[in-house]
Amino acid sequence: MSKTLLKNGRLICPSEKLDMLGHIIIEGDHIASVGTQLPDNADFDTVIDCNGCVIMPGAIDMRVQSADPGAEHLESLSDLLAAAGNAGITQLVSLPATSPVIDSAVMIDSLKLRASSYKGALFHLYGAMTQSLDNKHMAELGMMAKAGVVGFANSLESVSNSLLMRRIMTYSKMLDKPIIHHCSDPYLSKDTDMNESETAIRLGLIGEPSIAETIILERDLNLVSLTGCRYHAAHISTASSIEALRLAKRKGLPVTADTSPAYFLLNDKATADYNTSFRLNPPLRDEADRLAIIDAIADGTIDAIASDHHPIEMDRKMLPFGQAACGAAGVETLLPLAFSLFHTHSISLTKIVNALSVAPAKTLCLPIPKLAIGTKANITIVKLSSSSVIRGSDFMSQSQITPFEHYLIDSKVAGCFVNGISVTS
Amino acid sequence: MLSKKHLLGIEGMPIPEINDLLDRADYFANRPKQSFPDILSNTTVLNMFFENSTRTRVSFEIAAKRLGASVLNISVNGSSVKKGETLIDTATTLNAMRPDILVARHHASGAPLLLSQHVDAAVINAGDGRHEHPTQALLDALTIKRSLGRIAGLKIAICGDINNSRVARSNLYLLSALGAEVRLVSPATLVSPYFAEMGVPIYTDMEQGIAGCEIVMMLRLQTERMEGREAPSQHEYFHLFGLDTHKLQKAAPDALIMHPGPMNRGVEIDSKIADDNSKSLIRTQVELGVATRMACLEAVAGAKL
Repeated sequence: MSKTLLKNGRLICPSEKLDMLGHIIIEGDHIASVGTQLPDNADFDTVIDCNGCVIMPGAIDMRVQSADPGAEHLESLSDLLAAAGNAGITQLVSLPATSPVIDSAVMIDSLKLRASSYKGALFHLYGAMTQSLDNKHMAELGMMAKAGVVGFANSLESVSNSLLMRRIMTYSKMLDKPIIHHCSDPYLSKDTDMNESETAIRLGLIGEPSIAETIILERDLNLVSLTGCRYHAAHISTASSIEALRLAKRKGLPVTADTSPAYFLLNDKATADYNTSFRLNPPLRDEADRLAIIDAIADGTIDAIASDHHPIEMDRKMLPFGQAACGAAGVETLLPLAFSLFHTHSISLTKIVNALSVAPAKTLCLPIPKLAIGTKANITIVKLSSSSVIRGSDFMSQSQITPFEHYLIDSKVAGCFVNGISVTS
Repeated sequence: MLSKKHLLGIEGMPIPEINDLLDRADYFANRPKQSFPDILSNTTVLNMFFENSTRTRVSFEIAAKRLGASVLNISVNGSSVKKGETLIDTATTLNAMRPDILVARHHASGAPLLLSQHVDAAVINAGDGRHEHPTQALLDALTIKRSLGRIAGLKIAICGDINNSRVARSNLYLLSALGAEVRLVSPATLVSPYFAEMGVPIYTDMEQGIAGCEIVMMLRLQTERMEGREAPSQHEYFHLFGLDTHKLQKAAPDALIMHPGPMNRGVEIDSKIADDNSKSLIRTQVELGVATRMACLEAVAGAKL
């Protein structure tokens, strides 16, 4: 059995209330020791000096759209899992908007079987809430639950029919699975290009008001109080949605939420030269929204940080802004961008680690990742104070369009273990 | 000469450059029968119109020919764009034929900028989506200047569908830069409050909006927007926002009327006003379009005499 020593790191484990300098010993696929007393180096097959690094429970990216099946040429499932592992992500959850749509148990069986032979991050799936994501007919949620989905999600269009949403929530509650919903009012968001703002007016682009998100979110929160369904609001981008979530949590509703780095690091002014790598859904919001998202991460209103990874063909980005596709790569920048909250906004490392590992696991009822003896060795190592510039062309994946091109980051992933195996190159 | 290679919009354009263009256009306008075949000799101008246009395309064509350029017109109908070719592919293909100036109109905001990033030719924006229509604003400014002798200090109302108008945006930037006091007059559904954040007064009452204005600039409103979308009906729109003799009385005495065309007679403007040459500058606008575009073509070609 191979033995690896991670020494001199800062061990941060929110679930064990751990924040100390120390070491971890990995034996086979599990953690054999967590402590401060440095053992003798000679006993180990591998010794990694983690000086200046955070050693954290393995990061979980709870919002990834795989291009496979349907657009494998953009990024195959094996490439995605390898790239995610190399970027410090030990587990990821893929959304159902593939081609064909993940709306049946057979799709789930086949993808899980394929993923089990690939190296890198562990693979989980959301099933589609509706058949072929048509937002009209409930999909076979029960069969998909049996096949092992961790929740049910929609595409980038909300289920606008409140009766159908009520039924999906009621059914999902029976199955004890969460609903992961992208919120946007179909009428207010139709044919829009970016956030409604002075920038949109100047560019002659059609703006989506930020309340397009909040209107659907508030309806959903009312349905949660009616049905008792566990509900997760996906990639929240606006201050008004934060207010709604805060109120729902205060009422004790079973509600969680995530956001992604674009919504706490960028604002809609970034689109001022029609650069289509900033065309995202939800759109980049204004500066007040951005600051509200950071506050919500700090106070826990937003539970998780996810990448919102969505491979897009270059051809679909090299178009006038309003005609370009929404989305960008995210898995390979998630960790350094999340840790920038520590460097630039003084959010504690424990909070960041929690948002990247414990919170997604809780929402999805996965085993809570922890640095504890006897647990699976899913561990991410992040080096703080390591300046570099993001370049899409440096990505391991073929999916290289990022709104963070040339963005300065202050940390980098220095190692990642999935079930005791190193998955970084 | 322009400080930038392309003419993509008025926003951010240095005022001296705007004045140079207007002076040169004025020079050409004073010589309406004269050709200047040396200015753009050995120059190829491609008119790429991805959106229907008669007056702008013809205006650019005549302007280019009067300067001695070879002109080619490409309209979207019958071009490879209809066969699924992307804007950039079309641009790259045409670029290989080495045109000197590309005059582009496109229904998507920002398309001329995208084109300019992929061709060697200088690009003139002939109207992109809801973004800008710089040559229209320049010809409007020239029209005002030649009619009233100045722009600074004038009260100018831009009336109609502001949200969807590139003409409104370019005129707002240009006329404000030259010292006019610009107001926007529109139903609240067709003017975003964000225009107010740019410091422009917005009026939703036509009579108040044009009160005391020396220039009333009307904009075209697509008829389908007045079928219960942004406005309940053409009938109501004309009643509240159409320019008629009664409302015009609120404007300054001898106020002049402009319209970038094509007009919806009886919807946004009463025919009696549109055709009254003592009040209407509409025909002058078209006429000065040629001289203005001559000045713009010359400027991007960098070939001033």
